[in-house]
Amino acid sequence: MATANNGYYNIIGSMDGKPLTALAAVKFLGARASHVIAVGACAVHGGVSAAKPNPAGCVSVASVLQRKVIQLPGCPCHPDWFTGTLAHLLLYGDPELDRRNRPVMFYSQTIHDRCERRSFFDKGIFAKKLGDGACMFKLGCRGPITPIDCPIRKWNGHVNWPVGSSTPCIGCAQFGFPDQMEPFISYDVSKAEE
Amino acid sequence: MNRRDEANRTICEINACINLLYSSPCDETRNNILNYLGCKVYDLYLINNLDGTLLPTAAMTANALPLSNSRQFTKEELSAFNGKNGNPAYVAVNGTVYDVTNNAAWGAATHFGLSAGNDLTAQFNSCHAGQPILEKLPIVGKMI
Repeated sequence: MATANNGYYNIIGSMDGKPLTALAAVKFLGARASHVIAVGACAVHGGVSAAKPNPAGCVSVASVLQRKVIQLPGCPCHPDWFTGTLAHLLLYGDPELDRRNRPVMFYSQTIHDRCERRSFFDKGIFAKKLGDGACMFKLGCRGPITPIDCPIRKWNGHVNWPVGSSTPCIGCAQFGFPDQMEPFISYDVSKAEE
Repeated sequence: MNRRDEANRTICEINACINLLYSSPCDETRNNILNYLGCKVYDLYLINNLDGTLLPTAAMTANALPLSNSRQFTKEELSAFNGKNGNPAYVAVNGTVYDVTNNAAWGAATHFGLSAGNDLTAQFNSCHAGQPILEKLPIVGKMI
């Protein structure tokens, strides 16, 4: 939610012949909706929009609404996380949420817990560069601090996911992304062998 | 357990998973089982490719370090343990210096925008006060 200059950094249409800001629309609709779901990192905690230096004064949806907001962090949010939450609301009512209002059916276990390369971490075998087939912890993988189901749900029609393509998790589904998840890649942690 | 036994046990688990796959009607359960199978295949790869004895685990490495927890650190000395170029990664909280080199939450010696080699007392207390985290970290010394 862009808040600087009364929200005029983000105009989503017009109403009554005047520009309608996202800020005004969220405040208007958010106060009247039966449920509010924040979809994606920017809506949940500011995300890329609120990254330093944040000239548009972006904040989360929850911080401009005085009510419960179901949080679906991720950059992007997986279609399953959103449609699953929406379907649950329609069919069964409120899904079970964790202490940060994320549905536990998607956000309960860290990537590290179910990572296919977990046995490499447990045995202390670490990748030194992208493309090495071992645990990418020393390159800066954020899987251990990111609770989400990417290892089993996967992306692009359930085909693959970052670790399956030998690139570390960058913590896009964790609060604070991207600023607090940087650096996304570090090559200066392992001892140089030459 | 020797390598052959370990490999045989893993193969049995893989077989059991495949049988389970046939009888699982739910996509999520199937995905969980497939994910577990993927992990087991990596286990087999490791069993097959590691020479002789298994490499030490991250936890064993941490415990095996010649840690003396009576060392005194100045701020400058602590800053050298930033996890770069094979150096250990240490952080100070409430006057005690902890080793986070092999702590999973400290990928590339960084954690939520914080770097190893620093006194993070204020940041720790604002995020993790009351959580049982410090007890699990190896202690390497004290701040002066």
